[in-house]
Amino acid sequence: MDFTLTDEQLSIQQTCRAFAEEAIKPIAREIDEKSEFPLALIKEMGKMGLMGLPIPEQYGGAGADFLSYCLALEEIARGDASVAITMEAHISLGSTPFYLYGTEEQKQKYLVPLAQGEQLWAFGLTEPGAGSDSGGTQTRAERVGDEWVVNGAKMFITNAGTPISGGVTVTAVTGKRPDGRNAITNLIIPTGTPGYVIGPPLKKMGWKASDTRPLNFDDCRVPAENVLGEEGNGFHQFMQILDAGRVAIAALCVGLAQACLDESLHYAKERKQFGKPISSFQAIQFKLADMAMEVELARLMYYKAAWLHMQGQPFGKEAAMAKLFASEASKRAADQAVQIHGGYGFMDDFPVSRYWRNVKVNEIGEGTSEVQRILIAKYLDAR
Amino acid sequence: MHAPSPPAFPQIWRNPTLKIVVCMKETPSTEVPKSLGADMRLVRNPSDTIINPFDEYTIEEGLRQQEKLGGDVIILTMGPGTTNDPMRRALAMGATSGVLVSDPALAGSDAVATGRVLAAALKKLEADLVLFGQSSADAYGGIVPSITAEFMGMPLLSYATKVEVAGNNVTIEREAEVGYTTATAPLPALVSVAKAINNNPRYPSMKGIMTAKKKPIETWTLADLGLDAAQVGAGAAKERVTGATPVSTQRRREIYNGSAGAAQRIFEFLVENKII
Ligand SMILES: Cc1cc2nc3c(=O)[nH]c(=O)nc-3n(C[C@H](O)[C@H](O)[C@H](O)COP(=O)(O)OP(=O)(O)OC[C@H]3O[C@@H](n4cnc5c(N)ncnc54)[C@H](O)[C@@H]3O)c2cc1C
Repeated sequence: MDFTLTDEQLSIQQTCRAFAEEAIKPIAREIDEKSEFPLALIKEMGKMGLMGLPIPEQYGGAGADFLSYCLALEEIARGDASVAITMEAHISLGSTPFYLYGTEEQKQKYLVPLAQGEQLWAFGLTEPGAGSDSGGTQTRAERVGDEWVVNGAKMFITNAGTPISGGVTVTAVTGKRPDGRNAITNLIIPTGTPGYVIGPPLKKMGWKASDTRPLNFDDCRVPAENVLGEEGNGFHQFMQILDAGRVAIAALCVGLAQACLDESLHYAKERKQFGKPISSFQAIQFKLADMAMEVELARLMYYKAAWLHMQGQPFGKEAAMAKLFASEASKRAADQAVQIHGGYGFMDDFPVSRYWRNVKVNEIGEGTSEVQRILIAKYLDAR
Repeated sequence: MHAPSPPAFPQIWRNPTLKIVVCMKETPSTEVPKSLGADMRLVRNPSDTIINPFDEYTIEEGLRQQEKLGGDVIILTMGPGTTNDPMRRALAMGATSGVLVSDPALAGSDAVATGRVLAAALKKLEADLVLFGQSSADAYGGIVPSITAEFMGMPLLSYATKVEVAGNNVTIEREAEVGYTTATAPLPALVSVAKAINNNPRYPSMKGIMTAKKKPIETWTLADLGLDAAQVGAGAAKERVTGATPVSTQRRREIYNGSAGAAQRIFEFLVENKII
């Protein structure tokens, strides 16, 4: 077994670490306080090739492997969660479906500007009435002549309403399958299509600088060719997309947990009580040791899931486990980070209070912790 | 039939064969404490080697000139070549190719020998525009650019805070005590770039990182440059480091108690220390 990263992986990791430290961290507090989408920063990341990192060069990407993408996300998340989720949703949920299921024409038309970071793309699966039960999609698309007419609503959609959002891929019911269940199809809806209404940004507890919107489709018409992948195969497609997305979310969580550890270690060495740095107290040392151990465990889990994915082997179980463990570990890390900071940790002046608000949603997005446990149990064939 | 009239002098002068050479030094990481060996030479750890921080501005300037003018940016480094990391990083930032001058006989070279070697390599490269950093972050000599220019018999425009190539000339601005100085030289010429150029060196792009390994790095020895081992290395060095003392960073404090005469004492203190 060899854990050595390649020169390219190391170089991507180092560059992202420096970029997060120098360009992201310094603005993290401000964009959070103002709930402001960091457009200039995202554009700069696009120019650097970060927004198309794992997309092959022929489609405008950097052509890095999946692990490189995860390593980059970990480092970017260490700088800021909102920035990291913007990148993750754009790549894993927005762009990858075009690469995996798009026709050559769709790839040229949609994927190239996404990979080059000129546009962002959203993926609309969740609905007001269909969250964990994502197969319970209510949004419908009817074929009328050579168009699809879409009606319905989506909820909590990341990256749909930024100034550079090119559009959203939505799941919609397009008929019945032979087994009587709903046939779900992925449809491409460009921003500006009449009948596609992007709601106002949702106000959130964390990830405040990321763009999250409710969407409405009111007789929204797109050409028949806007089907992404096979008609009726949408459910299977987004299950695949979410598997890889979970590995990326795990990497993002590791970055958040690492940031909690970084801040805690630094603070514990500086803060003196009873005439000694609090880092000399065993109670604090044990917290730090536990945090470091969980960061390492979560990291190993996403490394392995990413590796399996790159080998073309099944990785769904490992992806669910990595996402579940990493999200919960990052929440524990943030909790302990605030504890180590005492009252100061509760104040906005210290980043750990923001970290604490930011970690929670990872137990919800891209499949709740309960859903991950259900999935893992399914892999165990526990009935 | 008339011969076609020559085109009007183009506003932006582009030259696809322009050769911009950036002289880059590999220096120890600024994050690792420095130490000297028994030979009074810096202990170099290949895994902690970075692009000389001053040279990041130079590489950025080279890339900007290339974007404007066309041509190639070639990174020239003289060093042990135990790691290619700084060179690869420069290539990932966007440089076209690299040349490493490496030879066991070069160990212990002083600034004169370095200038001699760089001059020979630059001649071989037929460089049009040569860019240097203002100094290196390990030795802080700042004299290699002028020594190289001397060996080449070419003009050096030093401490540039702005570089502009137009026609066959390069013009720079240099900060002066009041305002700035402008200097012009015909190409080929050498320019040393001041940190004050503040041109925001770019991060390597992801595509750049992925393709850096495909870019050529040539390694040249002294023989390739037609130089003799006796002219370089520790043996030829005109200067010898005989000792080194760490800078004392102890602060001198003076606490003045009582208000009577405090202002006077502060004034005297500032005058004594030539602050005012
Ligand atoms: C900030 C943010 C960004 C998001 N971005 C996107 C996006 O870009 N695209 C997108 O499509 N979606 C997005 N989502 C939606 C996200 O994926 C859903 O919120 C998530 O899947 C949960 O759905 P829900 O909120 O409807 O909760 P529900 O499904 O209603 O769950 C409520 C609770 O019940 C539990 N539960 C539900 N079913 C079961 C069961 N069978 N057994 C046990 N427990 C169960 C859940 O685990 C949870 O604890 C985003 C959400 C947030 C908060």
